[in-house]
Amino acid sequence: MTSQILPLELIDRCIGSRIWVVMKSEREFTGTLLGFDDFVNMVLEDVTEYETTPEGDRKSTKLAQTLLNGNNICMLIPGSAGPESA
Amino acid sequence: MADVPSQGVQEPFDLIRLSLSERVFVKLRGDRQLTGVLHAYDGHMNLIMSDVEETIMIVEPVEGAPEGEGIVRAVKRNLDMLFVRGDGVILVSPPSRT
Amino acid sequence: MDSPSPPPPPEDSPPPPPLPSTSSGSPTDFLKAVVGKRVVVRLVSGVDYRGLLSCLDGYMNIALEQTEEHVNGRITNRYGDAFIRGNNGS
Repeated sequence: MTSQILPLELIDRCIGSRIWVVMKSEREFTGTLLGFDDFVNMVLEDVTEYETTPEGDRKSTKLAQTLLNGNNICMLIPGSAGPESA
Repeated sequence: MADVPSQGVQEPFDLIRLSLSERVFVKLRGDRQLTGVLHAYDGHMNLIMSDVEETIMIVEPVEGAPEGEGIVRAVKRNLDMLFVRGDGVILVSPPSRT
Repeated sequence: MDSPSPPPPPEDSPPPPPLPSTSSGSPTDFLKAVVGKRVVVRLVSGVDYRGLLSCLDGYMNIALEQTEEHVNGRITNRYGDAFIRGNNGS
């Protein structure tokens, strides 16, 4: 029982793949994971940012390479095309 | 420590360790909750879960109702595999061991 | 998260007696003394968790048994066991 897999090891296996990032606010990102650190700060490329307005509309923005501050990240969904696929 | 109520739980993380591969309930900040199978955790309470149902509670303000009250709408979605950043975790409840 | 506190006395009862003198009254001693007892854990959000305190650690991660979640004085959930995450300085 002592040899356990750690969550960040699984995220490490997602480097190079598409990933869906859900922030603590009403904001989500999809992109290709280039890397991350122990704080779960992450670098994505070919990024789409999704914003949900209080009215329930969804606005999307294309971004190039992007650094996300780990403090604001809630969840990561590996290999996912993002909010449209769920 | 003679009156520790349950066996095998000497520290809080023991409760999580005993829940590996089990279906757990997780309450997150921002009125989100998850149920899914727990695969991994670390000291920050970062989690890996699979076969997850996420429920987001959205309070829709109602004309004339007091602040913070209104219609509560639950939005659900299903996710195959999920990493949860530990600082968003409020509570983890394992399946009943009884 | 705030410290766990012993269950509040029933309404209209006199204030609780002071803790036994075997405890020096430090927060650590208090927490050691309440392991195995019924406690209320109040979160900053105002949500209360009431249950039997199994154990806790230095980050104030807390394991409760027979847990009830109370919001605005109403029970909103029950859990057999619950792990409540402390201020894990991340």
